[in-house]
Amino acid sequence: MNQANRMISLLLVLQVFSTGFLWTLDALNQVSEGIFALFVAVDLLAFAMVSYIYRAEKLRASPSRAWVLVGCIILIAIVFASLAIH
Amino acid sequence: MLRPAPQYSVNPFYWLGALTVVAFVIQGVTGIIMMLYYIPSPTQAYSTTQYIFQNVSYGRFLETVHLYTAYAMIMLAFMHMMRNYFVSTHKKPKEIMWLVGMGMGFVTLGFGFTGYLLPWTVVSKSATDVGIGMIDALPPPVSSLISFLVVGAGGDATELLRFYDLHVVVLPAVLLVLLAVKMYMLETHGVSEPVTGREPLPENKTRLVPIFPDMSLYLLELAALFGAGMLLISALVPLNLPPQYTPELAAQTAAQPDWYFLWIYQILKISIFEQSGPLGQAALTVALSVVTLIFILLIILPFIDRGPTRRISKRPRFVTVGAIFVAELVVLAIWGYLTPGQTIPVEQAALVLGGIALVIAALSLGLYRLIFPRAAAPKVSAKPSIRTAQLWNGISFAALCGLGALAIGASVDASVKLVLGGVSMPLVEYLVISILGLGLILIGTAYLLYRSDLGSGQIKRRVGAFEIGWSEE
Repeated sequence: MNQANRMISLLLVLQVFSTGFLWTLDALNQVSEGIFALFVAVDLLAFAMVSYIYRAEKLRASPSRAWVLVGCIILIAIVFASLAIH
Repeated sequence: MLRPAPQYSVNPFYWLGALTVVAFVIQGVTGIIMMLYYIPSPTQAYSTTQYIFQNVSYGRFLETVHLYTAYAMIMLAFMHMMRNYFVSTHKKPKEIMWLVGMGMGFVTLGFGFTGYLLPWTVVSKSATDVGIGMIDALPPPVSSLISFLVVGAGGDATELLRFYDLHVVVLPAVLLVLLAVKMYMLETHGVSEPVTGREPLPENKTRLVPIFPDMSLYLLELAALFGAGMLLISALVPLNLPPQYTPELAAQTAAQPDWYFLWIYQILKISIFEQSGPLGQAALTVALSVVTLIFILLIILPFIDRGPTRRISKRPRFVTVGAIFVAELVVLAIWGYLTPGQTIPVEQAALVLGGIALVIAALSLGLYRLIFPRAAAPKVSAKPSIRTAQLWNGISFAALCGLGALAIGASVDASVKLVLGGVSMPLVEYLVISILGLGLILIGTAYLLYRSDLGSGQIKRRVGAFEIGWSEE
């Protein structure tokens, strides 16, 4: 498995985790509403990264390390911020 | 079948319109869910909105996302319009596409105007009443037609129902029809080439990319990033419902429209337009006519800007006017936000708006001379040292323009204080120093422009004092 595939696998696992986490939230609580928004944002960001890596691989060009790094940092920051609030 | 798109369109600036549609789709989904609970009547509009906030699962989140995406939709539509203006995609053969796009822009503003009233809060009702009041100042046939459309027979109940119908039925239907027309035209004409000045474009930029799956995936990526951004903002700044509208509470609240109409609001707050009696009514009509004229000029732009070239380097006047337009809108909106309910003296308005136009025009035209010094001359490859010199000239010029703006501001400030507060020695000194500073900055700017033009051989009258250290070699 090459580096891109490993990255895609990790992002898909993160998406499954964050989607599952959404079901544990109290839908009428204001704090939970914020966490819900953050985890849906995590899902969307992960999807955008998967799509970006897939497109770059298809063109036989490696995805920009800078963009992937920025995406990973934002994802980690949101996940930890959400868990801290929770 | 959708045609493949060239590689150069894999760029977010080419997808601002598509992102506006994405925002519209999010609006549709969140709006339909809210429609299940909302009742458009003056007695129940606020309580049902409050119910959504407090009792519906993720109700506050829905309301917040709906509002922020509406803001984003208006901002994206404006950015799309201005981007098309600056890169001239409104020119032949795409004039009708521009007209359709303008129609979509007005519908988007209509969404904002009609949707603002629906929660029936004191802020939204008061601001909408001000907006409806302005309709009466328009010429009679226009005001009657618009009043009939948006207010109906009169009264709160009819008004709210009309706004609701427009917001959830009429405007979405009109937008979908216009969108279909625009998509058809886009398929017919294709996307515009970038105006890089390095035509023909390299082969890797013109390579065609299939719509499915590559371009669709790219659009989905942008949509996902946009959605994630909206969700992050919604999570960080959740919406709070303002108090319910009552005439008593409205009397204590300064009516202020949402940010996208603040520029009009600020224009109408200029003292000359706020007079009472027939003179004031006439002045208000003039003010609204000016606003209408701005919109008309934007609509008929493809028939005014008919030059064959699309290059920014060859359109200094239109680019400068566009830059002034954007700067004035931003300044008016911020100024309106900072001064709710305050009347603006006409001299102050003239000085601020005129000063901004002057500074932007000087900055734009000066930068044109520095960035495109020999746009019309045959291409020569500049040595790196000349390029570096031009860069330094550009930076110095921008710095001088910034200082010039400050000096103009100080001169205006001193003049206004002298007129309003009477003559005093410190104020006179302040005025003299600021005018002297402005004079020095103007001389510095002229010097820089002269030096930057020395190498071009285009200077008709040489000034020896400006050529110290200059060698003809």
